[in-house]
Amino acid sequence: MDEMVWLIRKTLKDTFRKKKNWFLYFGLPIVGILISLFFYSNASTGTIRAGVVNQDGSQVVTSGVIRYLEGLGQVQVTPLDEETLRARIASGDLDCGIIFEQGFADRVKTGEPGHIRIMSVKGESVTAYIKAMLQSYIGNVAAIGKETKGDEAAFARIYDSYSQHPFKLKATAQPDTSNEKMMSYQTIGYLITFMMFSAANLSEIILKEKENRTFLRLLSSPMSARAYVLSNVVVSLLLIFLQIVVTLVAMKLIFHIDAGMPTFPLIVVLLLFALTAIGLALTIVAFAKSTSAAGAMRNMIITPSCLLAGCYFPVNIMPETVRKISSFLPQHWLLDSIDQLQQGQSLGSLYVNLLILGGFALVFALIAVYRFGKNNDSRQFV
Amino acid sequence: MSHVLEIRNLTKKFGDFIAVDNMTLNIGEGEIFGFLGANGAGKSTTINMIASLLRPTKGEIVLLGKNIVKDSKFAKMNTGIVPQELAIYEDMTAYENVSFFAGLYGLRGAMLRERTEEALAFVGLGDKHQSFPKNFSGGMKRRLNIACAIAHLPKLIIMDEPTVGIDPQSRNYILQSVRKLNEMGCTIIYTSHYMEEVEEICTRIAIVDHGKIIAEGTKEQLTSIITDTKEIWIGFRADGAISIESLQGIAGVTAVRQEENTLKIVSKSEVNNLNRIIQQLIKDQVEIRSVEEQAPNLESVFLTLTGRNLRD
Repeated sequence: MDEMVWLIRKTLKDTFRKKKNWFLYFGLPIVGILISLFFYSNASTGTIRAGVVNQDGSQVVTSGVIRYLEGLGQVQVTPLDEETLRARIASGDLDCGIIFEQGFADRVKTGEPGHIRIMSVKGESVTAYIKAMLQSYIGNVAAIGKETKGDEAAFARIYDSYSQHPFKLKATAQPDTSNEKMMSYQTIGYLITFMMFSAANLSEIILKEKENRTFLRLLSSPMSARAYVLSNVVVSLLLIFLQIVVTLVAMKLIFHIDAGMPTFPLIVVLLLFALTAIGLALTIVAFAKSTSAAGAMRNMIITPSCLLAGCYFPVNIMPETVRKISSFLPQHWLLDSIDQLQQGQSLGSLYVNLLILGGFALVFALIAVYRFGKNNDSRQFV
Repeated sequence: MSHVLEIRNLTKKFGDFIAVDNMTLNIGEGEIFGFLGANGAGKSTTINMIASLLRPTKGEIVLLGKNIVKDSKFAKMNTGIVPQELAIYEDMTAYENVSFFAGLYGLRGAMLRERTEEALAFVGLGDKHQSFPKNFSGGMKRRLNIACAIAHLPKLIIMDEPTVGIDPQSRNYILQSVRKLNEMGCTIIYTSHYMEEVEEICTRIAIVDHGKIIAEGTKEQLTSIITDTKEIWIGFRADGAISIESLQGIAGVTAVRQEENTLKIVSKSEVNNLNRIIQQLIKDQVEIRSVEEQAPNLESVFLTLTGRNLRD
């Protein structure tokens, strides 16, 4: 134990003595935060700029629908003609356009509203909200039309009463945290990559010791092979823990990004993943015969698997096949846990994800131990 | 003389290959024990087992009365290894290197500082303790390699080719250090490809071949094995091919090797075959420059017993 502490102290001292390691272990995750900030801070502010073309004249129902849109607060309505609407959507001045065609109000009154034309170049992310709100409102008005069965006076009376809505509505503005959540999710995606590279770098110390023959001296001292590998695992775990803390502190205190979940469960899942990353790094070291071979294996495994698991882009924009493949990657289960924690799930309810992550760590460690055990040559040493 | 190291029926197999074959050997306290063998003879495997880097397949190694497999910590605490290849950290100072390795043996505080300084001074690097090995000459690195192995004052020091690739001055320094360590009470196992080093410093020598000890004793005891042989050295001009096979076919000749412009021929002393040898060389149109008969030495013993050169 004493010699293990001695070796851990020396490895940490060596690691922190090199300036490039400070950048590698702590600078790069902060660069990850900056990249996330760059991608997500320019995203939508939450107000949809909509142009409205009313081809239905001064119909009460049509005007009522437009007023309803204006009243939503999150939609900035601009009345326009169709030609101007198309031009402004194309130029990016407007997010979408809504066209109420002639006869719209009459069809609503019969209880069978026709289609509303909604156009946008930004797609579902903009139109989904408007579609949902209009469907609900027009559905209600159409229900009045259906019930009054063509009785104009009755429709006008009930519709007027519905429009005046004597019920009291208290609107409370809820801050939109989706951007911040995406930002922290993506930052963690980058952190996963850096954690994996850090674990690989630190485990490669074993191969470097092998190459410069110091392992022979180390193992001829009272230190056992098991204690030697264990001390490397402890150093990796300590450094990755520091990497996690530095990233989370920088996120919260310097960049003011709220992760959207409590810190303790976040650290727990990240540490569990750290064990998986260390297990994988040891497996690479156990199979590689030199640091250059380990470096090649590390690059071949880490970057593509992080890409597939959604560390660089949200996994939901990827094809179904890729999403299925990502289920076989430990990074996927960590990102899924982060997503669920952001949705308010408790750590305990994520036991399946935690078990899978622990399973990955165990399997990698067992493969590494088996492989080390097979290295009977003293030059392979453990 | 009590035994520091006892090796009993030691065997090491790698798959079907037997690297060390039923070896038995005792090394007494205060000895400088020479271990001679060509590459692949089983010397490094034996050393690795003594240093607890490899587990024996069969047999036992007893260090200071304790089995090294059962009590490996005790064995390691009392052993220092100077590996053939440098085992030092280039990015740590000489002092940090020695101090780190000594710390692995439990030395701390004032004792660690004292032993580190002593070890560096012992190998003549006392004034270089804050320098980095990357700025050292080959000889200085070799000396640092030794300092890292002796700071914890082991009872047994294993030196595997400690003088490979260094200048004569550093070699002399290292050989003097070996003698000094021995005078201080350390038992030393010494391997080298330089026969003259082994002859100069070792009190007892074992010749290893195919994983077995084929001869063991003092230099005098070993050379007496081959009193019935003589060694003839023939100097010749560089150009022209020498037919080693035709020389080996001459009656009485047991081994022939060529070292640059000299032929070294081992022959039975009772057979008078010098004329035949010279006639064969003249027939092969070799221009002879000199002929000398040498007294048997360790090199001829090695060649006679193994049929190989130490450097093969």
